[in-house]
Amino acid sequence: MSQFLAPQIVLLKHGTDTSQGKGHLISNINACNAVVDLVRTTLGPRGLDKLIHEGRGKVTITNDGATIVQLLQIVHPAAKTLVDISMSQDAEVGDGTTSVILLAGEMMNKCKEFIEDGVHSQVLIRAFRKAGQLADARIREVARDIMGTNPTERREMLMRCAGTSLNSKLVSHQREFFAGIVTDAVLTLDADSLDVSMVGIKKVHGGSTTDSQLVTGVAFKKTFSYAGFEQQPKSFDHPKVMLLNLELELKAEKDNAEVRVNSTADYQAIVDAEWGIIYAKLAACVNTGAKVVLSRLAIGDVATQYFADRDIFCAGRVAEEDMRRVQRAVGGSVQTTVNHLKDGGADILGECGRFEERQLGKERYNVFTGCPKAKSATIIVRGGSDQFLEESERSLHDAIMIVRRAIKHPTAVPGGGAIEMDLSRHIRAAAVKIEGKDQLIMSAYARALEVIPRTLCDNAGFDSTEVLNKLRAAHASADGNHCYGVDLDSASVVDTWAKAVWEPAVVKLNALAAATEAACQILAVDETIKNPKSEQPGVPGPPGGGGRGGGMGGMMNRGGRGVRRMR
Amino acid sequence: MSLAFDEYGRPFIIVEEQESKSRLKGIDALKANIAAGLSIARTLRTSLGPRGMDKMLQSPDGDITVTNDGATILEQMDVEHQVAKLMVSLSKSQDDEIGDGTTGVVVLAGALLEEASKLLDRGVHPTRIAEGFEAACEVCMPRLEAIADTVDTAANGHEELVQTAMTTLNSKIVHRMKRELAEMCVEAVLAVADLERRDVNLDLIKLDGKAGGKLEETKLVQGIVIDKDFSHPQMPKRVEDAKICILTCPFEPPKPKTKHKLDIDSVQQYQEMQEAEAAYFRDMVAAVKDSGANLVICQWGFDDEANHLLLKSQLPAVRWVGGVELELIALATGGRIIPRFSEISAAKLGSAGVVRELSFGTTHEHVIVLEGCAASKAVTIYVRGGNSMVVEEAKRSIHDALCVVRNLIRDSRIVYGGGASEIACSLAVAGAAEAVSGVTQYAMRGFADALDSVAMALAENAGLQPIDTVTAVKAAQVASASPQLGIDCLGAGTNDMKVQNVREALASKQQQLLHATQMVRMLLKIDDVISRDEDP
Repeated sequence: MSQFLAPQIVLLKHGTDTSQGKGHLISNINACNAVVDLVRTTLGPRGLDKLIHEGRGKVTITNDGATIVQLLQIVHPAAKTLVDISMSQDAEVGDGTTSVILLAGEMMNKCKEFIEDGVHSQVLIRAFRKAGQLADARIREVARDIMGTNPTERREMLMRCAGTSLNSKLVSHQREFFAGIVTDAVLTLDADSLDVSMVGIKKVHGGSTTDSQLVTGVAFKKTFSYAGFEQQPKSFDHPKVMLLNLELELKAEKDNAEVRVNSTADYQAIVDAEWGIIYAKLAACVNTGAKVVLSRLAIGDVATQYFADRDIFCAGRVAEEDMRRVQRAVGGSVQTTVNHLKDGGADILGECGRFEERQLGKERYNVFTGCPKAKSATIIVRGGSDQFLEESERSLHDAIMIVRRAIKHPTAVPGGGAIEMDLSRHIRAAAVKIEGKDQLIMSAYARALEVIPRTLCDNAGFDSTEVLNKLRAAHASADGNHCYGVDLDSASVVDTWAKAVWEPAVVKLNALAAATEAACQILAVDETIKNPKSEQPGVPGPPGGGGRGGGMGGMMNRGGRGVRRMR
Repeated sequence: MSLAFDEYGRPFIIVEEQESKSRLKGIDALKANIAAGLSIARTLRTSLGPRGMDKMLQSPDGDITVTNDGATILEQMDVEHQVAKLMVSLSKSQDDEIGDGTTGVVVLAGALLEEASKLLDRGVHPTRIAEGFEAACEVCMPRLEAIADTVDTAANGHEELVQTAMTTLNSKIVHRMKRELAEMCVEAVLAVADLERRDVNLDLIKLDGKAGGKLEETKLVQGIVIDKDFSHPQMPKRVEDAKICILTCPFEPPKPKTKHKLDIDSVQQYQEMQEAEAAYFRDMVAAVKDSGANLVICQWGFDDEANHLLLKSQLPAVRWVGGVELELIALATGGRIIPRFSEISAAKLGSAGVVRELSFGTTHEHVIVLEGCAASKAVTIYVRGGNSMVVEEAKRSIHDALCVVRNLIRDSRIVYGGGASEIACSLAVAGAAEAVSGVTQYAMRGFADALDSVAMALAENAGLQPIDTVTAVKAAQVASASPQLGIDCLGAGTNDMKVQNVREALASKQQQLLHATQMVRMLLKIDDVISRDEDP
């Protein structure tokens, strides 16, 4: 009977899931919306946090968009795109990770009706790109210079940017305090490279948030110490610092070596030789004139006591990251051996203005200040609980990135939804001059931008329609002021530039570009082919899997199965 | 986690292992979190104050702890719920920073949560509530500073310090001895305090204890107590003017770290080796003896041969002393730690006035006490008590008291306890609230009510009529403008806490308010709980 059947072509492996076409596109958009809904409530100063329980007792409380989507372990292929843009926003500018997801989601939402009406997605993409370019140009046009004329003014301006970023975080109540710390931390860095890795954030349990402080130098927690450590001096002025990657311990020099001893007299010689090795190393360290010896590897009890007898401070097992920051701050180079240092060797030492051990909360910290070589800073965050500290760290990280960006690209735009409203108005005005479908689509893009002020209002519990109407009216008014944004204190509009809600222009540029890109990318996808193996093992046959197979793209699959069964 | 459906009614999977994750959002999440926090606070509520009750906690291994120290209770409760864990860390951070008031901070947080819950029911936005609370907290800080009294810590034989320490001990099981213990704590802290820098390193105060004897036998040793005995029973039990040699090498022939093998192929060689070994022992003991030492503290052990030789040369010795104790001894006696015998010299010896072995009752348990150490800063409080539970609880209570004394040395400002400062703050907040418009006013009033609720818990635990008592005190505070009036928990007949000598460090009270507000703010900001169902 085979001649009656159309030849069946088995193209894909059994169980391969494909879906395609318009329905698929809509389905993807809906999936993205589910992700958007997850992060929607975190936007803005009145946004709320998420508590994510990852199992094994690990808990994260955050309102950082990137952190949330990352922890959720999103597997839906289209929705993953949103995760990616959020991550890229985090990597590129460090803030605005929630906005970028919201914008992309909203743009796609606005496309949905066009797709249902049968507009080709390439048309949509072209119009979106055009609108994106308009937005980009407009941001550059309205962005204001925040370079300032003098350092004080500049610091003030950077603090405003940092404050805006911190506004939506848990520490918002102390935002001015932290904005100051963050700005000072970034300003102490080398102005050319602004290497953020030179800003360390150390979390110390206990104390009030306002006990947090900035150390202009490097600080790290006291390492594990052996007996004798307490007899070492704990503070120096202008000490030489020696950095080692060397184990200073009495130990077998080679693991698999064996010594044959012929007489008891030799026995003592071997013991002496072993002590000789370690003592030679220690003497070499002391001879360099170093007062502080740090090592990546262990510094044993013999060495600890040897240094204690010679009034030298030592710390073993210093974390690599801390070691690197110390090295870059104090200069010098990390030594893996000290045998060549018999005569002098002072050139490999670093130096700092002051070294001391300080008690912070329950822990003791080693603090290097006044480092001549590289500029570095350490922010010590205090707070009541681990979750609080971790969220503070994330918030400060965002703020640091913002300040860094603002120094590199010293232009800012008003926040609080003001710039989005302005872009929306601008694009809509440009769209009406265009003939054809593009006009509608670009207007949709313009409307999509309103999602930011609308969500700000929704999260604050305001009537978003009403506020948005006021905003549109304010932006359309003749005074030409494009700085009207949402006033979260009174459910009305306010000049957010005057209120010092500033965001670096680059955050918005990047967010809009990324969101537009992501929307276009998802719109351009009309088929997903999913290899059955890519499903996580152990997930018992996802209920959705069969359903999807039976939907739009099911015909081919079913045919394939049928052929198999006949064999 | 609920599934999302597309237009065609097909569910799609967005999040990995979607079915096994649950999600609670919006007001439900807030309510659930508040309920969890409250249940923790309720557990501790009855432990607050001088008439607070203790909790008995049994660990999985069957160890029993009886305590009314908030931090200890929460730690031992092994709390599972995430938000409840936040409450635990709240009390822990108070413990780390201040060391006292660990119950109070949780009770306050609980009261704040209760108020927040009421406000949420009225439809107030959670961050608005949190902001109101923060604003109220900001009112409290200067108010506390205004009502604080500066005490002269040095006056009258440190009487002020003793009184404050007694307030802490009041609520503990050891309160029948509070005067003695408080004096002991003050003495201990003053012994190690650096009064110029106003700093106290509590590490230098060692708390040790053994079950047996009476609580009254608890004593302060001006020196160090180590839980060891002399290596040989015939060694003298008491060494006057001890010159101590602190060794980190064992009394035995040295061993190279490198793998080694000694080939012996004749009797003669064997004898040689034996001779060499014996010589090592002799040389070692001689080296110690020659340096002038009359006591050896060794980190490692030594065998009978060395032990015998030490006894013969009249060198009392203590073996297997841990690294931390060794370091303490070195610090206290001014000695250096000596890593090999060839480096022993008279200059490296430490010295102590008396080193003696103490034995207890009929048991064969001994401890060694080093007193009158040359560079002494270290002291030890040695706690005795009827059973190990009492000893442990007494240690915790003494720790709290030590922390309080330290805090006073750091910052000599105090506020009056017994709910007096809470009521004073409550009045200040309520007053300030009137001047603020909007939701903040409600939140601030809520904060004031929460502060009252702490005072009420105190009254409740003391068996008083909470509402009557608190309102009476409040009225009296307003009438007399005296922030020293509190709740007379002990039935002393006066409400004036200054007369009753019930006082707390200002820093402790401020931290309590700050931490509790911060925690509540954090909790109120969570509107979404995504959790993975634990595997059964």
